[in-house]
Amino acid sequence: MSTYTIPVGPLHVALEEPMYFRVQVEGETVVGLDITAGYVHRGMESLVMQRNIYQNITLTERLCSLCSNNHPCTYCMALEKIAGIEVPERAQYLRVIADEIKRIASNLFNAGILAHIIGFDSLFMHVMEIREIVQDTKETIYGNRMDLAVNCIGGVRYDLSDEKIKYIRKQIDRLKKPLEEIIDIYMNNKFVRARTEGVGVLPKEEAVRYGVVGPVARGSGIDYDVRVKSPYAAYDKIKVNVHVENGSDVRARAIVRLREIQEAVNIIELCLKELPDGPTCIDHLPEIPAGEAIAKSEAPRGELIYYLRTNGSDKPERLKWRVPTYMNWEALNVMMPGNKVADIPLIITSIDPCISCTER
Amino acid sequence: MTNFVQLILNLLIFPGGLFAVALGLFLMGIDRKIAARLQRRVGPPVYQPFIDLVKLTRKEMVVPGTAHLQAFWLAPLLGFAGMMAAVTLIPIAGVYQGFKYSGDLLVLLYLLALPAIALMIGGSASSSPFGAVGFSREMVMMMSYELPLLVVLVTIALKVGLATGGIATFSLSEIVQFQLENGALLFDYTMLPALLAFLVFIPGNMGVVPFDIPEAETEIVEGPILEYSGTGLALFKLMTSLKMIVVLGLAIALFFPTPLGKNFLVNLLWFFLKCLVLMVIAITIVRTSTGRVRMDQAFKFYLRYPTVLALISLVLTLLQR
Repeated sequence: MSTYTIPVGPLHVALEEPMYFRVQVEGETVVGLDITAGYVHRGMESLVMQRNIYQNITLTERLCSLCSNNHPCTYCMALEKIAGIEVPERAQYLRVIADEIKRIASNLFNAGILAHIIGFDSLFMHVMEIREIVQDTKETIYGNRMDLAVNCIGGVRYDLSDEKIKYIRKQIDRLKKPLEEIIDIYMNNKFVRARTEGVGVLPKEEAVRYGVVGPVARGSGIDYDVRVKSPYAAYDKIKVNVHVENGSDVRARAIVRLREIQEAVNIIELCLKELPDGPTCIDHLPEIPAGEAIAKSEAPRGELIYYLRTNGSDKPERLKWRVPTYMNWEALNVMMPGNKVADIPLIITSIDPCISCTER
Repeated sequence: MTNFVQLILNLLIFPGGLFAVALGLFLMGIDRKIAARLQRRVGPPVYQPFIDLVKLTRKEMVVPGTAHLQAFWLAPLLGFAGMMAAVTLIPIAGVYQGFKYSGDLLVLLYLLALPAIALMIGGSASSSPFGAVGFSREMVMMMSYELPLLVVLVTIALKVGLATGGIATFSLSEIVQFQLENGALLFDYTMLPALLAFLVFIPGNMGVVPFDIPEAETEIVEGPILEYSGTGLALFKLMTSLKMIVVLGLAIALFFPTPLGKNFLVNLLWFFLKCLVLMVIAITIVRTSTGRVRMDQAFKFYLRYPTVLALISLVLTLLQR
């Protein structure tokens, strides 16, 4: 049988962002994959060095849409490390709440896209409808549906009144029942199972070799979560149950994401219960001395690492970040071969690629 | 001469041509609206397919530089013309007789294969890799749903043929006439498996979820019709809406042609109602409650369930004799 190439991308209905995959196909079976990146390069690494430290909080928030809270949060953590700033306890809890709300929205979005790709549009609409509850919450609490603009150096820029806490509790409660329903659908529905089970398998050894992170790693049986392994913000005071699946396929990754939503709901409830009193931010604009630091956080897609070096001026000397998708997309080389053409977009979506923060 | 004029009128105005196009597009609009309501969306207005059609005909048709020009143009025309002819073969009890020709069911069977063939020609002529994938999928899909359809048609032909003293009759008008005299086959228990098989055949033939594999938007970006725009795409859309009338009309003629009275308009409305109910059952509900299956899964499914169901009916028919 002859081999031919199918171009998936740079613009493709199933991809949310521009990314170019040249897929070598034999009949209907994928035999090889060639990933070409660089379609949304915006030169942001250079841009951060031309702006001052405070402006960069806003800039890093615009790196990516779905994990937009993790970028400024991690950036601020790196700055706080350099300046030795102690973040007030209440602010740490508030950071966790913002983090988890974004995680719910991001993971639900990915679950919806999965349903759309397998042609199950009713499920897609249903998931998006549930996601709307989270979007409403974001809009009410933070004033925005995507970029929360929560973080600042030494704390957060919002506070929760009793009324707002009650509102979040109410919204979170509304999420619980539909979440149970859709998890049941993703786990047991015949059509979803037929398309996701045994597709895009990434064995545990290969997952370790490629160093994949986030739900992709946890779907392959690797118990790794930054929130547990090196806790940041208030995660050291909150118990996070890491959900690990051993299926290693698209289904396992989807279930890990959905279970993480449930866990996020629990974490938010816990945070709201234990929310300590006190200031939400330090009371002065800090001086940032020369130095360097690394900060990590668990974005919805996996481990996010920031490296920052300052030289005492108001502009960072170097800011580099490693995003989860950078680690995950190479593993597509293992997941793809042997699968059918029909499964290509499905497998790509299963790593939940975030191209705009990978290519920045 | 009047016969010839009548034929042309049948082909172009009623029940083929204008009438069938309008009915098909209208049914599609209703289908979209109901599907949207089932998904808790507002959905487009019922007349949206008409708007789309007018818009498409006013747009330029872009032919890819590497495409085979004649075949690229021929494909939508072939599919559309085939369906136009097929509609005139469908009898509507109490409204339209169909052709009094003893083999029209066989002709219809061949004509029903034309849309798939047109899509295959178009897909391969467009020289797009997605078209090529769509081509092979369309072919496998056709092979999987044609077998149960064939068995169902043979079963009904045998049933009617044996009852009227012959062996098998492949005349649709005779089948309809038989049912008008002896009651619809819908209420015959031996025909129930065949009816189920036909219901399963409809989404496969119409190319809707879960069997929209040849045109899977998120997988191969509409496959064969990817490169079509303007008039070509409009013709393909027309072909699909006409195909819907043909398939639904065939199901009604085969299983439940019973008219409501003697009034022409009442019967026409009754036919429309039957089409609507059948469409909602076999297309709208199916496509909103399922996800797309893979080619191999669809192939296995069609060889397993509908074929077996149809064969059960065939055996029951033969035993009954």
